[in-house]
Amino acid sequence: MRVSRWITGLTAAGLAAALIPVPAIADSLPPSASYRSLPTIPFETVKANDEAEKADVMRRQEAVLNERYDLSDRPIPGVMMSGGRKPVQGGVRVKLPPGVTWDSLAQMSPDEIRARGLLPKGFLPLPHVKQATGGQVFPQQEIDEIRRQEGRNLQRFDVDFDLPDRFIPEFPPPIFLATHPELGDVSQGKLLTIKNYYALMVGILTPVQIEGLRLLLTPFPQEEFNQTEDRKSADQSMGVACLDCHANFHTNAAFHQTPDVRPQAARFRLDTVSLRGMFNQQIHGSKRSLRSVEDFTQFEQRTAYFNGDHVSAQRKGVNLPDRFDQVPMMAQMQNVIDFPPAPKLDPTGRLDPTKANAEELAGEKVFLGKGRCAECHIPQTSFLDNNMHDLKLERFYQIGYTQNGLVMLPDGPIKTFTLRGIKDSPPYMHDGRLLTLADTVEFFNLALGLKLTQDEKNSLVAYMLAL
Amino acid sequence: MLRHVLAASLSLAISGGAFAAETGVGNPAGMAPSAPQSAPGVPARPVLNQADRLFIRELTIGGAAEVQNGQLAAQRGGADLVKEFGRDMVADHSKANDQLAKIARADNVAPPNQLDTEHRAARVMLEGASGSGFDLAYLRGQVTDHQKTAQLLEWEIGSGENAQLKALAANLLPVVFRHLERARGLAEQLAVQAAAPPSRQPVPPSRSR
Repeated sequence: MRVSRWITGLTAAGLAAALIPVPAIADSLPPSASYRSLPTIPFETVKANDEAEKADVMRRQEAVLNERYDLSDRPIPGVMMSGGRKPVQGGVRVKLPPGVTWDSLAQMSPDEIRARGLLPKGFLPLPHVKQATGGQVFPQQEIDEIRRQEGRNLQRFDVDFDLPDRFIPEFPPPIFLATHPELGDVSQGKLLTIKNYYALMVGILTPVQIEGLRLLLTPFPQEEFNQTEDRKSADQSMGVACLDCHANFHTNAAFHQTPDVRPQAARFRLDTVSLRGMFNQQIHGSKRSLRSVEDFTQFEQRTAYFNGDHVSAQRKGVNLPDRFDQVPMMAQMQNVIDFPPAPKLDPTGRLDPTKANAEELAGEKVFLGKGRCAECHIPQTSFLDNNMHDLKLERFYQIGYTQNGLVMLPDGPIKTFTLRGIKDSPPYMHDGRLLTLADTVEFFNLALGLKLTQDEKNSLVAYMLAL
Repeated sequence: MLRHVLAASLSLAISGGAFAAETGVGNPAGMAPSAPQSAPGVPARPVLNQADRLFIRELTIGGAAEVQNGQLAAQRGGADLVKEFGRDMVADHSKANDQLAKIARADNVAPPNQLDTEHRAARVMLEGASGSGFDLAYLRGQVTDHQKTAQLLEWEIGSGENAQLKALAANLLPVVFRHLERARGLAEQLAVQAAAPPSRQPVPPSRSR
């Protein structure tokens, strides 16, 4: 070993003398910067430690949230989510730094905002509740309902869900089928599970769709929910199903971390995306741009659900759905999930002026013009452009600072998300860093340098509520 | 002037920037089974896990190489901007090296006292170069080294156990990104100049902040 290193050193010196670039011959970065280490502590000890830490962990994240956001209960009067179960929260919730207003901030250049450290913290990447550990975290309602119906445990002993319930989608969300628009919501107000799906859907879905649904509701081992000592559920877990996060094919705001980045401290948070309108979505995954929902559906089970780690998944029990039989059925089931009805939109996604009010119409005008929203969120294609874009938010802040274990880094290109049914899908952005639609307007006003007036901002919110 | 700005920004970072040191408590997954704890899940000092120890080794070597190569650049650099960059690297990394050494001493870890093969080889190559050849080789090395250091610091923030080391990593990371940006800009600038036909064109002003 030592001799060979000397020889390598001598060879390198010889090459260097000839001014040939030196190949990387010594130590690379540590393997655990990419790979998950095997646990070294007995499960019982890990659990005791995690439980003892939990209160501090939650307090820390609560401090992060309170520093960033106004979390008070301020629903928009008369506006409910599509199922009619939950009011939509309004107002700008991201807190401003002292001494500035939204308007004064919008007048500054990105350089000035960066130099003076004035970017509101709520615009920065949102940390996972426990960044170093990471993994899937479910909202309490999902945990309770899965326990009630299936007796399956989605409760982690190290962390709880962090966002207040008022800022996440209604539960259970309604289900709209592209194959049965005439029926409306077919969920019967229930959460689809492996225990009830057949009774709820036979006679409405095809045999192929029903089989796809069964597979999407079948739990498989996952990084934090499995049978090994490397888990965060008290019991040896049966695992997680696709629809545990994509509740009723929408989202329950369960979160995780991106599979596509290492080391762990750089993995940004991922808010569960809705599967509504999947039939029009051409690229999948915030970062990976997978070209079909078949690819996505198959692959996520290959890597223990969103961990980008086939090695660790292999140890915990990997599920490999058959590509020619099972995967297409799962995909075809997802592809019949429709958006909620938007009675004010015409067939091309534009407002019907006989149905929309003046403020909504004004909002559409801003959306298509000064606001530049429609350059990516194209109404005719379900408010998608099937591209990834880089907002370059790092123009506004100094990268590299750490908040609650997450390093603030450029997001890079991220997939365009649909805006159809958007009032049903808080929190917003790929990591859920924005709590209300008014927040998204302020965010893009700054990121794109739009200099919108307050009336224009208000009209954009009114417009998005109509989508 | 630039040096003072940088030194000021470094001390700002180290004295606690916006989010400095919010790395959270250690990651218990990396603890040794019998690690002493001051409270459940909270390691008692001076506990270092495997990541902490490896981090000390890698950062010590990288930091020492930064200082040595920076001194070399200050002497041999062809362009004044490269000499200045070298001097700044000596100043910034000396400070960081001292902080690291202090933590290592307090935790009874003996850091390596010589460079590793890769850094030795790079050093030999730099010693054999001069003028614009030196400048480009040095800056390209600086880009790679700061890229790797950024990943190394992020790794420690997520995998380390020792709160002081994690805080050091978190405090250094923004500075390392500034160095990286500056090295990339300079390398690009010099490469353009090297490719241009010889003329009396002055060196464009530095892009660094």
